[in-house]
Amino acid sequence: MELSPALRTSGLSRRGFLRATAAVGAAGLVGGCTATAAPPGATTVTIWSWLTGMDKYVAAFNAGHKDVFVDLRVIAAGLSGGYAQQTNAIRAHNAPDILHVEYQGLPQILLTGGLRDLTNDLADLESQYSPAAWRGVRPDGRTWAVPMDLAPMVFYYRKDLFDQHGIALPRTWDEFRTAAAAVKQVDPQARICTFPLNDGSFFAGMSWQAGDPWWTAQGDTWAVDIAGEGTKRTAQFWQSMITENLVAGIVHGSQDWIAGMHEGKLWGLLGASWSVGTLGKSIPKDTGRWAMATMPTWDGKPANGVQGGTAFGVSAESKVPEAATTFLRWLSTNPEVPKIGSTFTTPFPAHLPNRAVARQAYKGGYFLGDPVYDVLDEAAKRVPDWTWGPNALRLFSTISDSFGPVRGGGTTLPDALTKIQQQAVADMRAKGLSVREGKAA
Amino acid sequence: MSVLAPERTPVHEETISEPNVRTRKKDFAGLVLAVPFLVLLVTTVLVPVLYALYLSLFTERLHGLGFSGPEHVFAWLGNYVSVITDKAFHTGLGNVALFALVHIPSMLVGSLILALLLDSAVVRLRQVWSLAVFVPYAVPVVIGGLIWAYLYSPTIGPIKNLLGIDPLSPSAVLPSIANIATWQWVGYNMIIFYTALQAVPKEIIEAARADGAGGFRTAWSIKIPVIRPTIFVAVVFTVIGSLQLFTEPMVLKGFTGTVTSTWTPSMYVYEAAFVAGDNGRAAAASVLLAVICALLSAVVMRFSTRRSR
Repeated sequence: MELSPALRTSGLSRRGFLRATAAVGAAGLVGGCTATAAPPGATTVTIWSWLTGMDKYVAAFNAGHKDVFVDLRVIAAGLSGGYAQQTNAIRAHNAPDILHVEYQGLPQILLTGGLRDLTNDLADLESQYSPAAWRGVRPDGRTWAVPMDLAPMVFYYRKDLFDQHGIALPRTWDEFRTAAAAVKQVDPQARICTFPLNDGSFFAGMSWQAGDPWWTAQGDTWAVDIAGEGTKRTAQFWQSMITENLVAGIVHGSQDWIAGMHEGKLWGLLGASWSVGTLGKSIPKDTGRWAMATMPTWDGKPANGVQGGTAFGVSAESKVPEAATTFLRWLSTNPEVPKIGSTFTTPFPAHLPNRAVARQAYKGGYFLGDPVYDVLDEAAKRVPDWTWGPNALRLFSTISDSFGPVRGGGTTLPDALTKIQQQAVADMRAKGLSVREGKAA
Repeated sequence: MSVLAPERTPVHEETISEPNVRTRKKDFAGLVLAVPFLVLLVTTVLVPVLYALYLSLFTERLHGLGFSGPEHVFAWLGNYVSVITDKAFHTGLGNVALFALVHIPSMLVGSLILALLLDSAVVRLRQVWSLAVFVPYAVPVVIGGLIWAYLYSPTIGPIKNLLGIDPLSPSAVLPSIANIATWQWVGYNMIIFYTALQAVPKEIIEAARADGAGGFRTAWSIKIPVIRPTIFVAVVFTVIGSLQLFTEPMVLKGFTGTVTSTWTPSMYVYEAAFVAGDNGRAAAASVLLAVICALLSAVVMRFSTRRSR
């Protein structure tokens, strides 16, 4: 099922054509690929991705380009198999030209040594990207990937219910606690939101806001600070919310959660920019009930976390890095892409001019209150410094495992944090990485 | 494997007679017929096992930030040591042991009782009953797991209201998983037992009846002892299946934080390979798991032969 190297070079022999047809057939089996055969003389670039709608972007690119032909293979999403597949392909020296990475997964993929340094290829684009996204693809000051979108966290709330019961929109976490108590008083079955203990990337996003990054690359050493002051404060706050039974424990995206959101048992969601699309799809009948706002802050100082976000890297062993970069530049910066994206989702591009295009193309009508892209823009501006570490993906499962007993009273969030920090440091050292504990100097 | 038996040919080599030629032909035919099996055995079992053994001896070492890529190092038994000393692996083994303690007796006793009932004369609509109990086995495990996960979900599922306890809470999640597995396997083992019961000689049962044994007495003193070898085979399969428990907890993990990512040894292997990206440790853990399975089955088989003597 691997794409043969012959495909990557130009020229179309009979065998090449057969292989291409077979590859397209295989890709079609996996996830629906609209590609036809490459035009004669075109350089073929292979890409593995799980981004929704990637087939449409690729089709649009191929329709408009004679010199580069992109061959897409849809793979399983991230931790459902995508990362494992890509890592194994890099190890086996048969990786595609373009790999799908998320900001949070980039440093872990970098440990394979399989990505190309794009610092010089992309240097001219720096000013066009949201600073948070640009930092996300440069964990050590070199550029390793092309940013696609950004996913700042946002507070979604039932504006109709908040207004009806005279509950003010919380702007700080203290006000959030007051609002949570008010919601519970109105309806003892309802909660202001859920705090999913099995979602490490959610907790990371919540801690991101507090301003103490979990990792920092300092020269040749990782400073690891998962139990730092800001994260501790975040953990203490949510522990007290759980102890006082002010938040639900349902998992985001589950049937329980969808039912709770629709039936007025959950009055809010601490989500990310992509939740705009999730809400529209999960609870389409809720038009005119929900509004969005930037996240409550710790001390009134604007700050906002991020949960997720996609970028694309070029394989270090790619024989056609220029063609791969040509496609990625188009994908990330061409205004056609957000226009296509807006037909089936609500894209929030990392590229600022493209974000303006997405804003123009947004139809609206679902949310009350402030315009969606105003809130998201403001949230994106507030994102503080953060670097993902080389064990971030694994840490998410460590977090979920360690937080598991919290609901039953087996441990507390701050206690679990101390153990998570120890385990993360031990894991990194066992791999041979250079690690320093505590805040970056 | 005894199909091959190549050493028999030389014995007859001295005199060339017709039956000898036939034997040779037969051996050749046997070899040809065994080829598909051998090819599959070699490519899908032996090669992967040997590759896993090879992988388990290596590890990847990184330096500094790690971005310059890994270096493959021979680790001797380092991966085995790190698995054996890993608390998460111990917890996983403990979980499957507890699971087996709940699952094996309830499932086997359940399917044995159902099989005996089917075998006795009192049951009407025999085929309808056996089909009804067998159907869960035909449901894919993931689908069955999802159905149960929805039933278990505290707000949309009915079970919390019926029992008054949250089936996904830390104390209840293990019995909940055992329940899914029991539901899934009870029909399958019932069919196995029922088939074995069909083979119990009628004369013995009639003799027992003539001696005045009732239904219970016949079942306990005649039928169960006769099908004991079948029961032991079912025990072996279930012990191995319990050790390799994976799908049910993996599905429930998406619904509750109480199932950790290393909740069973198989999940530990999955986490090491596909989340942590540590193929050496994953290979070492799967080799250890295979060894434990082999040892346990040997113990159960030993026990069974001793008992039936």
